[in-house]
Amino acid sequence: MSAPEHASHKHGPGRYVAVWAALLVFTALTVGLGRIHLAGGWSIVIAMVIATVKASLVVLFFMHMKEHGGASRLVLATTLVFVALLMGLVLLDNATRFPLANPPTEATLPLMPPGPDATLPAAVPARAAH
Amino acid sequence: MSAPGSHVAHHFPDLETQAHAARLGMWLFLATEVLLFAGLFTAYALYRMLYPSAFAGASKLIETSMGALNTVVLITSSLTVALAFHYSKESRSKLAAALLLVTLALGGVFLVVKYLEYSHHFHDGHLPGRFYSYAALQVPGASMFWTVYFLMTGLHGIHVVIGMGVLAWLAVGAWRGSYGGAYSTPLEVGGLYWHLVDLVWIFLFPLLYLI
Repeated sequence: MSAPEHASHKHGPGRYVAVWAALLVFTALTVGLGRIHLAGGWSIVIAMVIATVKASLVVLFFMHMKEHGGASRLVLATTLVFVALLMGLVLLDNATRFPLANPPTEATLPLMPPGPDATLPAAVPARAAH
Repeated sequence: MSAPGSHVAHHFPDLETQAHAARLGMWLFLATEVLLFAGLFTAYALYRMLYPSAFAGASKLIETSMGALNTVVLITSSLTVALAFHYSKESRSKLAAALLLVTLALGGVFLVVKYLEYSHHFHDGHLPGRFYSYAALQVPGASMFWTVYFLMTGLHGIHVVIGMGVLAWLAVGAWRGSYGGAYSTPLEVGGLYWHLVDLVWIFLFPLLYLI
């Protein structure tokens, strides 16, 4: 534990500047790729991969997880497990529902029973059709 | 036992143990913050799954260059906070205070850019729920994008303001020489909070601006 802690005091400000430069490069990359629309939802996957790489750089170097992890590593890992549970289960639930059990979309709106609908913009005259 | 005038609280055997406890406590707090934002990210994912075309259309109404500018501003402010902690450990407290002031200024730039974006959206009726009045994009789910947008960027903006308050307080302390050398933990812990603000934005930027 004291060996890596020792190493943390050795590195100069250059390491932080290098991480900053890498973050800027990844930002430019994600903006550039955002302009190109890839088929089949690959854009969002690539954008999230880049964001995760950027976040890892911030956590490891700016937040010093690399030098003194210990119990904070366990805290972060547990947090991410619960984030995955929350997001994963909610999306699985809604993705596997009978479509009309979800809020109305363009496809399911004509099948919905009439009534007030918060997801529909006020100016749309679709209600008149019912 | 700790000597009078020492930074070690009496229930800690030494400064290093105290720093470890402070760091762990801050990470536990950051865990609750991450889960708070995770609720909103889940809402985003769910409504984007239900309304992919509405989200893509609404996302085109926000200026990518403004978001990219704010990304660069926040990343740079993370660098200056990390450097402030670095120089505080070398007991260069005045330099640390100056770097915290630069961070504060960058936080101010972020909020000004966000204000300009918000006023544009308010003017054009890019608003949540029944306040949505943008005529050129009338599809189900379009107003949900703005609900999610304002909740996420609003909560993030509140964190920027709170972070700036914490950093201002730390800058005063650093200028007065309250921290330095082995006792730089307040700067480290305050810095962790600011880095979290940066982390959240790193995910918000591609999700909201680059659909």
